[in-house]
Amino acid sequence: MENIYRPDLIEVVGIRQETPDVKSVRARFVEAASAARFSFQVGQFGIFSAFGQGESTFNICSSSNWKDRIEFCFRRVGKVTEALWQIDEGDVIGFRGPYGNSYPMKAWEGRNLIFLGGGIAMPPIRCAIWYALENRERYGDITIVYGARTVADLVFVDELDQWATYDRVRVIRCVDPGGETPDWKGEIGFVPTVFDRANVPAENAVALVIGPPVMIKFTLPILDRMGLAPGDVYTSLENRMKCGLGKCGRCNAGPVYVCKEGPVFTLEQLKALPLDY
Amino acid sequence: MSDLISGAALRRLVDEWIGQGKRVAGPVLVKPDLPSYVYLAGGDRFLLDGFVRPVNSIKEFVFPRHEPICAYRFEGKQVRIADADAQIGDQIVIAARPCDAAALPILDHVFNWDCADEFYNRRRRATTVVTLACSTHDEACFCTSVGLGPAATRGSDAMLLDLGGGEYEVRVLTEKGRDAFAGKTITSDRIASEAPGPGKRFEAARVRRYVGEHFDGPIWARTTLACLGCGACAYSCPTCHCFDIVDEGNLNGGARVKNWDSCQFVTFTLHASGHNPRSAQPQRQRQRIFHKFRVYPDKFGDLLCTGCGSCGRNCAAGLGVLNVLEAIERDDGEHLQA
Amino acid sequence: MAETEGFEPKIVAFVCNWCTYLGADLAGTNRLEYPPNVRIIRLPCTGRIDFNLPIKAFETGADAVLVSGCHPGDCHYTSGNFHARRRWMLFRELLSTLGFDMDRIHFTWISAAEGRKWQQVITDITERTKQLGPYTLYAGNDGKADAAARSAAASRPVPPRTFEGQDALRASARRLLEAGIVKVVIGHGERGAPVFVTRPDETHQLAWNDRCQANLTTYLKRKEIRALGKPAIVVKGCDERALVVLEKESQVEREHVHVIGMACEGVGAARCTTCDVRTPRYADEVIGQVAGGAVSPDQRFQALAEFLRKSPAERMAYWAGELERCVKCYACRQVCPLCYCERCIADKNRPTVIDTSPTLKGNFAWQITRAFHLAARCVGCDECTRACPAGIDLRLLNLSLARAAEDQFGYRAGIDREAELPFGSFSLEDKETFIR
Repeated sequence: MENIYRPDLIEVVGIRQETPDVKSVRARFVEAASAARFSFQVGQFGIFSAFGQGESTFNICSSSNWKDRIEFCFRRVGKVTEALWQIDEGDVIGFRGPYGNSYPMKAWEGRNLIFLGGGIAMPPIRCAIWYALENRERYGDITIVYGARTVADLVFVDELDQWATYDRVRVIRCVDPGGETPDWKGEIGFVPTVFDRANVPAENAVALVIGPPVMIKFTLPILDRMGLAPGDVYTSLENRMKCGLGKCGRCNAGPVYVCKEGPVFTLEQLKALPLDY
Repeated sequence: MSDLISGAALRRLVDEWIGQGKRVAGPVLVKPDLPSYVYLAGGDRFLLDGFVRPVNSIKEFVFPRHEPICAYRFEGKQVRIADADAQIGDQIVIAARPCDAAALPILDHVFNWDCADEFYNRRRRATTVVTLACSTHDEACFCTSVGLGPAATRGSDAMLLDLGGGEYEVRVLTEKGRDAFAGKTITSDRIASEAPGPGKRFEAARVRRYVGEHFDGPIWARTTLACLGCGACAYSCPTCHCFDIVDEGNLNGGARVKNWDSCQFVTFTLHASGHNPRSAQPQRQRQRIFHKFRVYPDKFGDLLCTGCGSCGRNCAAGLGVLNVLEAIERDDGEHLQA
Repeated sequence: MAETEGFEPKIVAFVCNWCTYLGADLAGTNRLEYPPNVRIIRLPCTGRIDFNLPIKAFETGADAVLVSGCHPGDCHYTSGNFHARRRWMLFRELLSTLGFDMDRIHFTWISAAEGRKWQQVITDITERTKQLGPYTLYAGNDGKADAAARSAAASRPVPPRTFEGQDALRASARRLLEAGIVKVVIGHGERGAPVFVTRPDETHQLAWNDRCQANLTTYLKRKEIRALGKPAIVVKGCDERALVVLEKESQVEREHVHVIGMACEGVGAARCTTCDVRTPRYADEVIGQVAGGAVSPDQRFQALAEFLRKSPAERMAYWAGELERCVKCYACRQVCPLCYCERCIADKNRPTVIDTSPTLKGNFAWQITRAFHLAARCVGCDECTRACPAGIDLRLLNLSLARAAEDQFGYRAGIDREAELPFGSFSLEDKETFIR
């Protein structure tokens, strides 16, 4: 009997502590058959299990071009993430996916890409960045503005350095005022403010904006002022999920099931959604 | 010309089905005042009259309140997963109400949308539904407001209609119904009359439009103050299907299970971060109405409600969707004038 | 029962860190031999023991459970064991009513110097349990097959019989709202369902009839209701008892509620036939007059007495049948005025203390916890029983603990405003005949 709720087993091959309460995990499928039939598109998410504790939903933050592994990043905040915090290399956990829709990387070809992220929202952007960089000639200018409350809260810091070395890529990192260290070389200010003064050209641009609600709230007007149409501004919604398959009803927000018609939405689509998420 | 069966013969037939190893469920008086669908030990106790509808629904026979998804065992760093492959034998629900039977084709949509939930499908395939048409209704019933009625056949494989004198007309509706009653009925020229259903209480189309336009309106707070946020309505409802997935076990292993859940619980949409998009009861009540009367029909073409009235009867605070829908019906007229 | 050949019982002992654990340790260092059947779970103090812990032991297959701590007066935390003793006095009654085999549940005081006593107690319990055989009769045992639960309760609509005070009630409500003394009147509607009247011209919605079963005091804890402003609340005598407890537990400020007491001749519920609180005693105003006499405890607990004629095995079978139908809708919890925890232990998931699944294990664990968290607090309004869509006789569990509280402490919840709450206190004279 086909069991759509049955997880695949994945083995942890690498763990990195990004911040005091965030870890990123690299894993590969235990079964070769599972690895062979698995593929995903950037923007999709997976449901990861800490057996005995439960499942939790995370964006698959690795590039879809990387065939030998999948990666996810989580904050230690609840029952399942506490259990995931305790895992070591070699441990086996569960994975179901990929679920949800994805970033329209094909439709974005030929466009200039603006990536705006805050704090733990970098991982779901990271996969799109790597994908774009790995297909560099298909995309225009790339601007990345990423900030966190403090220097210690920035994730994937070494990758930010790498991205800056690519052709026509501009990386701006920032921390909230008061969050800088004495040797901080980046910007100081909230992401919307820093983005605003960066004077990024708006023509032929699409933007992917992910971050805490307050960051989104102040970033959207700037993009609007720049002239980006709501159909060209994208985000990824976080929602409480269980089945990920559009059956259990939990992620139903207004008229959509976030696990099926999301989590990637354009601003235009988001405006049509009641505040039920 | 019609098919007829006596009540006594029907009960003997149920015994026969049980004897064949089939599981048969039907309404019995679990307590003096408590008709409830249960699996039967024999054909003698199930009710053919004297009740409006049981307190539960037949969804639990295709969508159990608790179902293991898979088992897991820890072996050092390794984990072994085993499917929970219970054998599902044939089962027949006898004397189901039309409002219960109609729920099953409605539930089929969500459990097969985009990918098929075989836990549900295999039970659905194994189930034959024999309905007992209603000869009465009470003030909580509103099947006629959602396109059904006392003798609605949707979801039924065969229907029994009371002819009086302990005899029932049998209307076979599907292959499964035919298989169940083949050779068990006698031909007759008696046709049962169908009872009139409850009067219409609201316009479903009006509700659908209204909830879309008044998502943030004051009606939710106004009409749902009495709601205490339990799961009685969702769990009695023939069409509610939200569920939770949890792991239960010990240091050696355990099972991942599916359990019924309700959008009325405060923890339903609670994020680990503490954020809760529906932190107040009116918002959760709104979700119930919105999901049943707008989202589900928009997506799947069917209202997620069969008008059985169980939510109203089982609600300790006397609420139920009917109260809210009638309030919408009243408010809509006023609002247009305002 | 015959000794089962080769059967080695599993005994779980919940012991306090400072006395019994050290006593067990002493037994070890003195080379006192005792059977290895006991698994020791160390806690800081017996006062810390929530009673879902012994239940968990039985769930996972324990054949006997021991709870042991410091002697009264010796508690490392001064009074932890006094509180524990109080709890044990009532918890045993609940276990007995559920049909547990009380020969498998033991309580002792063992000090750090009593290595020998530890040896004797463990040897004795092991022997006794060997004689009793494996414990297979707890219906919430993990290994039991889960039955698919059935559910729901029928309510039969009956035309309501209006009581005399209805007009006076409406007039009172109108007056209170017009004068701005209250912002909302919480009362019953025509069909008994709660109504929240905020305007003087809506007071006709209020009814006083034999459908007015609901205990409206539960709404005082709901934040949506609190947001409306100072309420007037309609209470019967039974409902008012909940108000008394809420006030004593600092959940309600009495001056912030205007209480309209209705003298009641009964609303047709089981409790009405043995009611001795027909007239509310602490209301701001009382509407109506009803003669009421005293009712003896025997009369009040008659349903319980009849139930207790069953043997323990019969009791357990009864509860297994009842709790098979529980769907975990938590209507019992939500409707109860005294279940006001911000986050219920049943919703706790770090760790998950009570299985959320509606299996016999999960249902027993929940109902035991619920009943016991209301021990000596439940006022017997029977709302939980009315609300249960599965028609489970929760009333019996409540009666069992109410009887124990009355027998042991002379306490009836919500009757006397001045009475001390049993679990907030203890007495040096608490009876401990059941403790070794």
